[in-house]
Amino acid sequence: MRKLVLWLLVLAVWETLSRVSPWIPSAVGILQRVAANLTDTEILSSLGRSLLRMAVGFLGVFVLGIGTGLLLGKFRLLDEIFGTAAMALHAMPGAAWVPLAVLLFGLTQWAVIFTVLLGATGIVMVSTSAGIKEVPPLLLRAARTMGARGAKIFWHVVVPSAVPRIVDGLRLAWAFGWRALMAGELMIGSLKGMGEILSRVAKQRDLHEILAFMIIIAVVSVVIDHLLFRRMERLVKTRWGTA
Amino acid sequence: MLVKLEKVSKKFSHNGSGIEVLKEIDLEISEGEFVCLVGPTGCGKSTLINLIAGLEMPTSGRVLVGGVSVTGPGTDRVVVFQEAALFPWLNVRANVEFGLKMSGMPAEDRRKKSTEYLKMVHLTRFADFYPHQLSGGMKQRVAIARALAMNPKILLMDEPFAALDAQTRRLLHEELLEIWQQTRKTIFFVTHNVREATVLADKVLTISARPGRIKGGTTIRLPRPRRESDPHLIVIQQRILLSLQEEIAKVVKDEDLDYLVEKTSPVASGSGGLGNAL
Repeated sequence: MRKLVLWLLVLAVWETLSRVSPWIPSAVGILQRVAANLTDTEILSSLGRSLLRMAVGFLGVFVLGIGTGLLLGKFRLLDEIFGTAAMALHAMPGAAWVPLAVLLFGLTQWAVIFTVLLGATGIVMVSTSAGIKEVPPLLLRAARTMGARGAKIFWHVVVPSAVPRIVDGLRLAWAFGWRALMAGELMIGSLKGMGEILSRVAKQRDLHEILAFMIIIAVVSVVIDHLLFRRMERLVKTRWGTA
Repeated sequence: MLVKLEKVSKKFSHNGSGIEVLKEIDLEISEGEFVCLVGPTGCGKSTLINLIAGLEMPTSGRVLVGGVSVTGPGTDRVVVFQEAALFPWLNVRANVEFGLKMSGMPAEDRRKKSTEYLKMVHLTRFADFYPHQLSGGMKQRVAIARALAMNPKILLMDEPFAALDAQTRRLLHEELLEIWQQTRKTIFFVTHNVREATVLADKVLTISARPGRIKGGTTIRLPRPRRESDPHLIVIQQRILLSLQEEIAKVVKDEDLDYLVEKTSPVASGSGGLGNAL
């Protein structure tokens, strides 16, 4: 509620300023465009396509990131060999993968999905393997006195205790993946999607329209983060007592 | 004799120098006995529990349980730790069933067992709760139920009530004694609280400060439930305290010394500093 009032205040100030100076775009004007665009079926279908690509890419991030993270966390040797590579992958900006993606997959969906995959897998890998290594020793000892060994300890104690870190990683990966998706769509340009619309609108040099689309892109990401990842994170943090 | 320790010593190496934590411990616990070990903090009480549990191996000497040498952890010796060590992602019932699941018991039998032990610790109503929703005392009761569900020969308790308030602790003493009388489990209970030991145990052993050695034992034949303020008990407590007093003084002196060494000597920091400084 407080937040809402503050936001309205900011918008009011912004709108007033835009009436004074011709250089400042109108807040109300932008919001009108946002509303208009969100009821346009063609734009909605583009948004749908983008989200679908994101979903496919993110599924890959989930499987690949957690899978390799578990391996790195479990096997020291692998960690020594590939740990640095995982960090490098994590440090790489998602957009930097686009040229390679286009080279490998051409100007296709798969190039964009590949960009999302590589742009977001690193963080999931790194946080999963960190979570695996940070299992409280007390829990391991308790499990051992109750007869758990080897693989059972790994699946019933080590992996569940890493869940908060894994969820952290997935939440960040969502944001990284979304950026990578936009970079891919902007650069490829021939695939219908939010990035493509943005590049098209940019060519028309329409400030209000560009800002309206940027707002839509940001809001979609934030809404999904709130509805899905933040809820998951909260649940996990209270239950695991890491809040 | 259910548990027998023969000349058990344990050394840890720390920054290249060995620290002798336990020295030639001889200890016997009979079946069905409730034995408390009392000693100052940092005297190796937890190490002793870990040795019997098989979580650590002695540097020399032997640990025998049921006549067999301990080579690792086993479900015949379950530990209740100071922090309950419950799995936060499992609810109370699943925590109690954890060990049974690990041993491959079918779900139906597990459920029967967990119901039985949850009843024993009066937590039936909380079966679906998660650890973060429980108080400290309730968590320890879950830990006790979880340990009992394994049907161990001996229950090893490592200062299980040290972090609880006095009221809760008293309640849990009563419950533990009830459980002990019901199940006739052998219990080895480690604490730094002399009153706690005398209220609970058949036999109270005292352990000296670094290196830890068993100093003596007091058998208590007073009927239970015992009151901490029972004059007979107070006499016993005084006697035990007196023998511990010297040990506590030693620990304090030791720690002062450590502190001084760390503070004043350049050799304490850095490995092999002594050689270089000379």
